[in-house]
Amino acid sequence: MMTVATTNVLLLLCALALSIPGQSAAELKRLDDQALGAVAGQGGIYLSGDVSINELGGPVENSYFGRCDDETRKCGARFAYRLKENGGWMVLDDIRGNFAFEGLTLRVRTIDSGFGGDGVLFRADVLELGLPNTVRFNDVRFKIAASSTARPTDPGFQQTDIFSVGMRGEVVMEGNLLVFPVGKP
Amino acid sequence: MNSRDRFLYFLSVAAGVTLVFPGPVVAEMQRLDDADLAGISGQSGITLEMDVAVTADRLSYFDDGNGVHLEDLRIGSVTNPDGRAFHRVKVDITDDATLNLDYLVEDRRIEFGDLRLAGAPGLSMGGVFFDHSLEGHLRIRPGGAPGGSGYTFDSAYTMTGGRLGYRTNGNEFFLDDITLDVEALGVTLDVVGDTLRLAAPRIVGSYNVGAIRYSGNPLNHGHSRDATTGALLPSYGSISGAFDLTTATDIQAGGRSGEGLRIDHETTINSAHFIYHDDGNALALRQISGYYRVNDLRLDVTDDWQGRPALGLTLGRMTGEVNIGAIEMGSNGHSLGEVNVSFLLEDREFEGRYYTNALYLQGGGHPDAGSQGLRLATEWSLNQAGLSYTEDGNRVIFSGLQSWGHGDITVNVTRDEIRNGTRFYDGLRIGFEGVKAGYRINGLRVGDEDAPLQGGTELLLALGFYPAYEFELDGHMTLGAGGASGEGITINSDIQLRNGRAALIAAPYDAGSGEVGQKGLWLSDLSYDGHIRDMTVDVTEEGLAFSTGESWSTLDVGNLRLGDKDSGQSFGRFVVQKYETGSGLTIVPGGSGEVCAGGVGATAPACVASGGMWQDRGDEGITVRMKQILAEAADDSRKNAFIWETNRETDGSGQTINGTGTRLVFNDIHTSDGGDFDHDGFDDNTFGVRTDVSIDVYQTRVVKKVDGPDSLGVPGSRGDEKIMDASAAAGYRYESAPSSADLENRPLGFAVRAQTRFKELSINNVDLVHPVGGAQTAVYGVKMQNFDIKANLTATPIP
Repeated sequence: MMTVATTNVLLLLCALALSIPGQSAAELKRLDDQALGAVAGQGGIYLSGDVSINELGGPVENSYFGRCDDETRKCGARFAYRLKENGGWMVLDDIRGNFAFEGLTLRVRTIDSGFGGDGVLFRADVLELGLPNTVRFNDVRFKIAASSTARPTDPGFQQTDIFSVGMRGEVVMEGNLLVFPVGKP
Repeated sequence: MNSRDRFLYFLSVAAGVTLVFPGPVVAEMQRLDDADLAGISGQSGITLEMDVAVTADRLSYFDDGNGVHLEDLRIGSVTNPDGRAFHRVKVDITDDATLNLDYLVEDRRIEFGDLRLAGAPGLSMGGVFFDHSLEGHLRIRPGGAPGGSGYTFDSAYTMTGGRLGYRTNGNEFFLDDITLDVEALGVTLDVVGDTLRLAAPRIVGSYNVGAIRYSGNPLNHGHSRDATTGALLPSYGSISGAFDLTTATDIQAGGRSGEGLRIDHETTINSAHFIYHDDGNALALRQISGYYRVNDLRLDVTDDWQGRPALGLTLGRMTGEVNIGAIEMGSNGHSLGEVNVSFLLEDREFEGRYYTNALYLQGGGHPDAGSQGLRLATEWSLNQAGLSYTEDGNRVIFSGLQSWGHGDITVNVTRDEIRNGTRFYDGLRIGFEGVKAGYRINGLRVGDEDAPLQGGTELLLALGFYPAYEFELDGHMTLGAGGASGEGITINSDIQLRNGRAALIAAPYDAGSGEVGQKGLWLSDLSYDGHIRDMTVDVTEEGLAFSTGESWSTLDVGNLRLGDKDSGQSFGRFVVQKYETGSGLTIVPGGSGEVCAGGVGATAPACVASGGMWQDRGDEGITVRMKQILAEAADDSRKNAFIWETNRETDGSGQTINGTGTRLVFNDIHTSDGGDFDHDGFDDNTFGVRTDVSIDVYQTRVVKKVDGPDSLGVPGSRGDEKIMDASAAAGYRYESAPSSADLENRPLGFAVRAQTRFKELSINNVDLVHPVGGAQTAVYGVKMQNFDIKANLTATPIP
């Protein structure tokens, strides 16, 4: 059932690169806007900005959560879910960090040319996310853990931190992400 | 005695009475006094004192054989239904043939019980009462507009103790304790051809309305206090203001068909201000200026498009522009900024249907509310409008706003009861019956009208604003008196939308080469069923506050389409159910203030060190603070859930059948404070999801993403920065190493800063539902805790 339900959205990845600077630029130029001919539905937006999660801490202050200058408590966000009734909980814990981007574009456009001739055959509208050239990650971190309870303040709480992830630096994301529906709605 | 003298003789006798009375009173006054006053020609210093009580069962006006009746007309005392109103008029004619009238009116009520159309005698539009005391003078001198042979009027008066009310089925809504000062000098009245022309070069005045009250007690009639309890009636608040206007009005005979009236009018608002007061807190619109022109407005007693008898107002064209220099609220009087609205109402075609501007007034209102009420068969066509917002000198324009609609709007004053099977609430009820309406905007322009169209309204989706929306509307919104405490407004509403199409993202409908079908991401085949209970609206020390007792809704999007709103490919069906208790929203003046854009840091050096830009976005702007308490499921209709359905069966006409496909269900989404801290057996739920959205217009860094000319042919290389330059052909250029002067000319963007916080957000279960196999749970609970997400986004056109 899951397969049937999810086949209705496909991502045509005409140009997506997640790599170090310069590595994939030549490949993307071959597919960029200049080659696509007529583009309808101009307008759209060019977005720049940043998103931060729990920069100084979250709204909860208890025996488990606190502000980030309190080293005895965790100040990040916590995401817990379970896939089995009455089972344990998988946890993304102590999620925090900041990332900034410049030049994320969003628009609806018609593709009726390009793509090595496939565009003429495609002839449909897509939601285009123009990826920002650079995304700057600033001290993004979280932990993967397994927990006995959903809340860390529940009675009998036990948690095993499996591993931690930390990200810092710049990531180049070039090209466009095109989203469009197919299949039976 | 020449004709002018004869006119002044007549005026000296009659005008002293007539000009302070409405028309129907004239006959009554002449019957009482004409014979005695016949010999006073040419005298001065005559004083007339009268105690007036006039009643009439019916006053009728006929137009092409169709009648409208004013019934139960009364002029008399305010305080005593059988009493009389005192009048004193001093009449004087000066040597230059000028007639001077000084008048005093005390304790006068003018009212009628019903306004009926002869073609629908069983229905009434309701009754109106107008209480006042007046003191003023009127001077009439010969000679009208330059070159004209009419008359010139100078008038000034003060009205005190005013009360203007509307009554239906025993319930009343009225402005109480009105004070009004008006001075109008040099008003000319001329007959030009077949036109009566009234021109007022300057009308200056101020007003104060002490309270706007509601009564649901049939024993009350035009009193500030309840007749049963003696308590002051609840108030929506009070208003005050001042104005300086210039007006010109032309009146001609002839309606849209046959008999009737034609009015052409122009008003220039030289200056004005308007203040709404709520328990001592003010919402002020200051530095108002502008104009409007009404062309070919016709008044007929006629039938509407459904053949229903009506008093018809049909408009040829209306255009205008209003500028509000400052919108202030809160205890510190901070301003949101400046707003400018321009509009053009005229007939045109939208979505394959021709729309006009017409209003057909009928009696009755909601059919279950009683025989008295107002029904407005309405059609409008807003051909073009622009709404611009300026804060700290930076401007954003919602360009190319258009709106159209057609349907019935009902107005009743109702009370809390179930009547004839329909639930009514205390207050002024605005009902909607079969209203088919829509609006769309062409896009945003930032800076000035010549700036390129851009998106950006997507950033306002969180506030419920769609760039384009069409729908069929039924339901009501009832505005009750009294807020969360003291004065204010309480709203109860039940709204149903059908056949809706709302854009999440929309390209321009006219990018410069004519109108085209708007491409976008559309919520198509949309229906909405929403209910609000006890939402209070108050002006507080902080700003404008909305607090909702309980609300629940279901948004059913039959197809989420990409491209064309009707024929675009569909992502499937989406259903969003919402159930909130104790949610709130506050609009606060002031935007983001100092911001670290693109970096982290509470100070400028720390921000720059992290790679960000330190920005001071000024004092003005708008901040919206929302608190959404997502309640646990109460039943199937009152819960928070999200459903995505695909692979649906189709009927014989190829239409998808909802409920026949495969569904992904996020069930019973709710917030919590993370525990039962008050030990009542249930998790506390007071924090909810709190979102602050601050909106500014501010400069931003825009870099070119690819080498070569952009969409307007402006050359540049990847990484070059866009710099606005009026001397450049396209209005901008690209610079690889912008100077400090260039950095002052970065493009303006639509800047939104948002912060979302919640203590705990849970999803009870995530199910996959097969039409045959039934539901299977995929996720047995999701719990998110301690989130504080900040986003700082700026939207500009795509370079």
